[in-house]
Amino acid sequence: MSPTLYMPIPATVEQIKDETPLIKTLTIRPRDPMAFQAGQFVELTVPGIGEAPFTPSSSPKIDERMEITIMRAGKVTDKLHELSASAEIGVRGPFGRPYPIDDFKGREILIAGGGCGVGPLRSLLLALAEDLDSYKRVIVRYGARSPLDVVFRDAAQRGWNLGGALDVLITVDHDDADWHGHVGVLPSILTEEHLQCDPEDGIAVMCGPPIMMRFTVDTLLDRGYNPQNIFLSLERNMSCGVGKCGHCRLGRYHVCTDGPVFSYDEIQDNPRLWDD
Amino acid sequence: MKMTISDAYGLNDVLEAFSQGREVYAPEADGHGHYRLVRAPTWLPGRHTLGAYRQTEPLKVLFFQPREFLGTFTAEADREPIPERIVFGVKNCDLSSLQIHDHVFLNGGGCKDPYYAAAREKTILVSSDCDDFLDVCFCAGVGEQPYALKGFDINISSTPAGVLFEVETDRGADLLRATARYLKPANPALLDAVRTQRKQKHETLAVHSEKHGVKPGADLRHALEDSFGSTLWQDFAADCVECGACNFICCTCHCFLLADGVNADSEPARTKQWDACLLRNFAATAGGHNARPLRTQRLHHRFDKKFSYFPKVLGRYACDGCGRCTEACIAKIDIRDVLRRAIDESDALHAHSGDC
Repeated sequence: MSPTLYMPIPATVEQIKDETPLIKTLTIRPRDPMAFQAGQFVELTVPGIGEAPFTPSSSPKIDERMEITIMRAGKVTDKLHELSASAEIGVRGPFGRPYPIDDFKGREILIAGGGCGVGPLRSLLLALAEDLDSYKRVIVRYGARSPLDVVFRDAAQRGWNLGGALDVLITVDHDDADWHGHVGVLPSILTEEHLQCDPEDGIAVMCGPPIMMRFTVDTLLDRGYNPQNIFLSLERNMSCGVGKCGHCRLGRYHVCTDGPVFSYDEIQDNPRLWDD
Repeated sequence: MKMTISDAYGLNDVLEAFSQGREVYAPEADGHGHYRLVRAPTWLPGRHTLGAYRQTEPLKVLFFQPREFLGTFTAEADREPIPERIVFGVKNCDLSSLQIHDHVFLNGGGCKDPYYAAAREKTILVSSDCDDFLDVCFCAGVGEQPYALKGFDINISSTPAGVLFEVETDRGADLLRATARYLKPANPALLDAVRTQRKQKHETLAVHSEKHGVKPGADLRHALEDSFGSTLWQDFAADCVECGACNFICCTCHCFLLADGVNADSEPARTKQWDACLLRNFAATAGGHNARPLRTQRLHHRFDKKFSYFPKVLGRYACDGCGRCTEACIAKIDIRDVLRRAIDESDALHAHSGDC
């Protein structure tokens, strides 16, 4: 047992990239390599200010560095957004249950996300891309509030297609003069018109704001997806990360250790699932 | 190993002998009908007592401190090593609550909290049967009893026929062997006297608990699970002032916060401190989201955790009927009234569905 259960190791901020007016991606180098699997999360500490949970957005194949895509939303994220390169922060983890990607082999995978939830989904996508031939097909459906809020804009326009290997479609809730793509909430591009998929055997993975996940789940169920094959990445107040502090309890689970990735059939009966 | 006091000695001699070389924690009467847990270098006859019922402070304070300094940024704090300790007069409600803390801090998430583990390791627990009870006590209503059956190192039962010492652990047995000169084997008459006294005390507690609405054997788990949509939570939450006192004083509540700030030398510092699920920001996340924004939801959550979550994961309630929350509540919410209403509504629901 590590005596540093609740204490971070130091990590250096190597690079900061502006993604949108509210979202930045920080590349950090932990003092010791930190291997993680797509979907797991880490706790970042801003010394003297606080700690908050984030799921890395980078490839789990790389353990000496990780990228964390952070929306400015509170005390800790405000400070993280103010950091400059070479700043020292702390990191603990990784924690929690990752996406069960071994079970995804040979199947079609729909990745549906919105807002900052696209960070964990990018990490998953990079993990899948390592071995793309193992999967029947990979589909990405991504929703953002406005064209300015599209995260990984460059990648969204070029790299995510992986030379056409992926079926990618992006939608925005509200367009602007320069937007020529789809306009509407995420479920509006999950219809038969915009999504040819295999709901019977296909996997659907989603991450995003609760309101988006709630309606996306309903749409996917309507399309015939099996609750066991729908995976959600939940956000609660994960504080200790090790199933002890009690903050992230959801029914019989602690989101930090039993999740944050759950299949929908594990949590669908909880009447407090979508409380926000 | 069942022993009693040798003829030439008294209880104080035995307890003083137990305490040799150990920091002592023992109840002391506070002059207002309660006991407080005090620390001393040895057992102090005339000041210390085994206590007729549990003291005001929950036992968890010795293992899970209200506030622990963890370190400065990434440097683990150098901690004073915990001395060998002995706690006297532990009552069954407190002793039983350690099952919850052991589950959380020694097994939860598959890892050990090193501070809790060290404190448990260094502490000998000498429990004693309750001689009396407080009006708020209702251990019999949650499946417990006013004497310990497990979890102690040594248990003491005092009866008019003599004092019985029982052991449950190797270190309890070692301690009895080390103090053998004060002890002799207990005779069957003493064992009978203890059995009879315990039965009578347990029955009294059962009657008291039932009188206050929590009948022993009531299915509190299903009552709570049936209560999800009930207005009972709004009704009690209307009085609650969300001070968190019920959480902090509870012998089983284990939630904590990792709090960051700066120390006196302006270095970044982290503490682990008790948190309370009744407080508004307990389940808040960044961006203004909150899984339980309403006091009604938070009050329900507290009961749901005690009477539904823990039965699911550990097969027992996370309530030992100590009644501290009732004493501490400035809004005068009595946990037994909440449970009584949940039980009554659940019974009515099932009686009704039975009619159909």
